[in-house]
Amino acid sequence: MADDIRRLSEELARDPASPVYLQLGEALRRGGQLDLALKVALRGLERHPHDADSHDLLARIAVDRDELERAFDEWDMVRRIAPDHLGARKGMGYVLFKQGRFAEAETYLAEASELDGEDETVATALAMVRVKLRGDRGSRGDRGDRGEPSPPPVSSLDTLDDLDTLDHLSLFADLTADGEQTALLLDATGLVMAGTYLTQDGRDVAQEVGAELSGVSDEARRAMRHLGLGNWSSLTVETDAAVVAMAPMRDDALLLLAASKAMPLGLVHRVLDRCVARASAWLGKGAA
Amino acid sequence: MKINITPIISALTRQRGVSGSLLVDETDGVIIDATLQVGMKGPAFAALAASLYRKARLSAQAAGLGDVTFLRLRATEGYVCAAGKNEMVLVTIADARANIGLIRMEMLKALERLVL
Repeated sequence: MADDIRRLSEELARDPASPVYLQLGEALRRGGQLDLALKVALRGLERHPHDADSHDLLARIAVDRDELERAFDEWDMVRRIAPDHLGARKGMGYVLFKQGRFAEAETYLAEASELDGEDETVATALAMVRVKLRGDRGSRGDRGDRGEPSPPPVSSLDTLDDLDTLDHLSLFADLTADGEQTALLLDATGLVMAGTYLTQDGRDVAQEVGAELSGVSDEARRAMRHLGLGNWSSLTVETDAAVVAMAPMRDDALLLLAASKAMPLGLVHRVLDRCVARASAWLGKGAA
Repeated sequence: MKINITPIISALTRQRGVSGSLLVDETDGVIIDATLQVGMKGPAFAALAASLYRKARLSAQAAGLGDVTFLRLRATEGYVCAAGKNEMVLVTIADARANIGLIRMEMLKALERLVL
């Protein structure tokens, strides 16, 4: 990463008009050097004010800096410059989702889905938004426009029949409310069976995170076997960026919950227990 | 600055439900210092806990979650807690009636003193 940044910086120094600032800004952003990334993006934008990708980069940096309004404005600009820009729709949907404006988020994500029906991250995000919307309507006791009963509120999705209304991507969406937590169900080989893990820029990194973290449960199982403390029931790992809690499931599957560091640990375990119950019911139905 | 490790480790073991505390080298799982109840398999605990902590640390870094600050493994008969810094891991073994919130706080404080 550092080598890439050095190489891109040199390239940009040699030719300040080069579009390489986009790669440099993105590399800095991914490396967490947000102030530098912002500087590079703004300088690039001065030279290329009508370039959609420049505004897109600036929007992603703004999201990482927790400046959601600014990110939304930048993506709105991208949409004006390039009406078919997929990233702008995804980004605007993400910002609105974070702000709890689910109906508006659905509009943008549905547009993104029309632009690229094959994009799995859009499908995932859209599924999550629709579960949230169903929850909102259910908790308000809304009825459909045609007087039809609305779908069950998500908080009541605890009977086996209700589980049929959820797909594998949104299995935990109602339990991991407010978007600050995310849950995954992994099989014995670390592959994702259900759930999503979205980064701040809307990428689904569930497979990567699942593959990396599933090995920890093997280590836990091995340790417990030797130490005579009985079977392990949960493993909680606090990191600089998040709290990750894991619990073993049947057939050596693993439930993984990642939560914001700001979330109290006791609450993390309560949400983990609920996700375990949901996953057990889902696995019991043979849904996987 | 010279630090007397033993009193710090022993203080942890005096917490309710704690049956042993160990300071372990993360890389090779060897005990640096430990206070354990009679009959506990110190070397095995040290090796396995260090290995678990190391695996969690490397996995969390690979997953982009940063460094591990605290780890808690819960089993039917008790807990294993670990906190690490500078390639050292402080490990505590506790039974099911232990106050894990208190142990966590004391471990993090102890670790700060140990790695000064």
